[in-house]
Amino acid sequence: MATEAAQQLIAALTRRRASGAVVSADEVVAALDRQLDAWNVTRVVLADDPLLEQLGVADALGGDRREVLTWPPRLGARELLGLEGPAATCGVSVSVAAVAPRGTLMLAASTGQGRALDAAAAYHVSLVPDDRLHDSLAGALGQVYREGPPPSALSLVSAPSRTSDIEKISTLGAHGALGLHALVIAG
Amino acid sequence: MSERPVSYEDVTGTLRERATEALGDEQLRTNLRASAGSWAAGRKRMDEQYPFQEMREKGREIRTRAVAELPQLLDQLEENLTATGGVVYRAADAAAACRYVVELAQREGADLVAKSKSMATEEIKLNEALEEAGLRVVETDLGEWIIQLAGQHPSHIVAPAVHLNREEVADLFEQESGGPVENEREALVAHARQRLREVFATAQIGVSGVNLAVAESGTICVVENEGNGRLVTALPRIHVAVMGMERIVGSWEDAAHILELLPMAAIGDDAAGYVNLITGPRRPDETDGPEQFHLVIVDGGRSALRGGPFEEILNCIRCGACLYACPMWKSVGGQAYGSPYSGPIGAVLTPVLEGPHASSAGQLPHFSSLCGACHEACPVGIPIHDLLVKARGQATEQRPRSERVGMWLWSRLWSNPVAYGIGRRLARAGARVLGRRGWIERLPGPAGAWTSQRDVPTTWPPKPPSS
Repeated sequence: MATEAAQQLIAALTRRRASGAVVSADEVVAALDRQLDAWNVTRVVLADDPLLEQLGVADALGGDRREVLTWPPRLGARELLGLEGPAATCGVSVSVAAVAPRGTLMLAASTGQGRALDAAAAYHVSLVPDDRLHDSLAGALGQVYREGPPPSALSLVSAPSRTSDIEKISTLGAHGALGLHALVIAG
Repeated sequence: MSERPVSYEDVTGTLRERATEALGDEQLRTNLRASAGSWAAGRKRMDEQYPFQEMREKGREIRTRAVAELPQLLDQLEENLTATGGVVYRAADAAAACRYVVELAQREGADLVAKSKSMATEEIKLNEALEEAGLRVVETDLGEWIIQLAGQHPSHIVAPAVHLNREEVADLFEQESGGPVENEREALVAHARQRLREVFATAQIGVSGVNLAVAESGTICVVENEGNGRLVTALPRIHVAVMGMERIVGSWEDAAHILELLPMAAIGDDAAGYVNLITGPRRPDETDGPEQFHLVIVDGGRSALRGGPFEEILNCIRCGACLYACPMWKSVGGQAYGSPYSGPIGAVLTPVLEGPHASSAGQLPHFSSLCGACHEACPVGIPIHDLLVKARGQATEQRPRSERVGMWLWSRLWSNPVAYGIGRRLARAGARVLGRRGWIERLPGPAGAWTSQRDVPTTWPPKPPSS
């Protein structure tokens, strides 16, 4: 059963034209596969994270339909940005924390998850175990910055890339990911 | 006066001339009305969803405390950031800050700089300095790129191209790319995305601003919605962040509150799309992120404001809310101000940063109705209307002696009830002689300057103006 906080997170993200779902650990791979199909993604760059390994994401997503790479993907900036190779790429990250009421995902830079993973790709899916949900930004930041050395970069992501610079009307897909999907893993 | 004044030196005409021209531009006024209306709707939503007044009080307390502790916080920031491998340079003024970045670029053999939106670099005129040194500088925030292509200056702190509509943007994009560009918003955004990806991929240096620094961990925060801030700070080999020295708090509790308030006030949303919290260059085991991280902390007249009558201006978090709330800004837009900082906050900040002897910005504090809407809109409760009055006082000290004596005399007379009564009776008599259909449209002699741009009602409430 989905927690209230998980539903809050999805609702807040959806208000900003992102999407998401609350799933069990067994359902993650299928939900991820469906979302990648919906976006017609042909290349996936996965964070090198124990959670994705434990869920068997790399093996399950591979096959004929798409190329699956793990961070660091040994791609140049041009390929990461879609200027060369497939344009419909998707970065799959794992959030270190999230702020449920405001719909904010937190991605910590590390050896296995680069700073550009989610923003350089055309699409972004982030996995969030529900025990990492917080009810305030202060609580989430306190956890990241007080319980260990600070990450070199922490990215707070709350929406697909958007701009209101033309006639003050919000338009998606300025420079970062055109689509953002959160999968909250319950239990 | 600073070697590089805050005001734009290439802006022509007087403030009055620029404002008059803007008032005659119907397209501009339509664009401004639409953007201010959109902001007001978002802000109303935030007021309904959150205890904005309580949050505002807390924001004011946090900023006031940070400014009081500024020297210690900057020391702590420098110590913590240096420990992560970052380099901190404290620049006394704009010239020193620009010199540092130009020398760094030359030393590293860079020829392309990708920039994300930054008011501090606009203030110090970093683009001009880099271009003078032969580097190519490309703004990557969509609005900043549009005005860079237009050869204009930003008209709003967070929405720099708000004065242009999509037809005008399409024309600029066609000129830049040499091909046809559809004038639909989605097509324009997609066009910019494609063009600027080449810049992200090849720039050797990324330059960003800093919305906030957090002393306790040595972190800078870059708040944005487009993702260009992330790409500029993650892909180039060198990241240079430029911050005004006051943009700092001590702890993550304080930072969290300001980071919550900022998008609420700026864009009427309870979270920005991307907030990039950066604590130094990439670590040895990481495969992306800049190899070098430089933080340039600009004083530029700020430390002289501490402890003085304008200290509260240092509390500003650059959300731009006071601009959208201001009847003057909504009428003429930001370009008329001739400064990166426009609207009420710019009308105070520009002259006080330039110092009392800078004449170019001295008119700005008078460009206000003193209605107080800016104070109401400010998420950290800066009494901008009071500061405008103080800035007017400072500007008046530079006026000719005859004018100052005249104003002193007027003040003395109208402070006296008898003299005030006589003045009122004389004014009423004058209104009967000069008024036409309830309005005085022209006063005689030197007073004519006052009515050259405004009419005076002879009755209250005023009669509807005749067409």
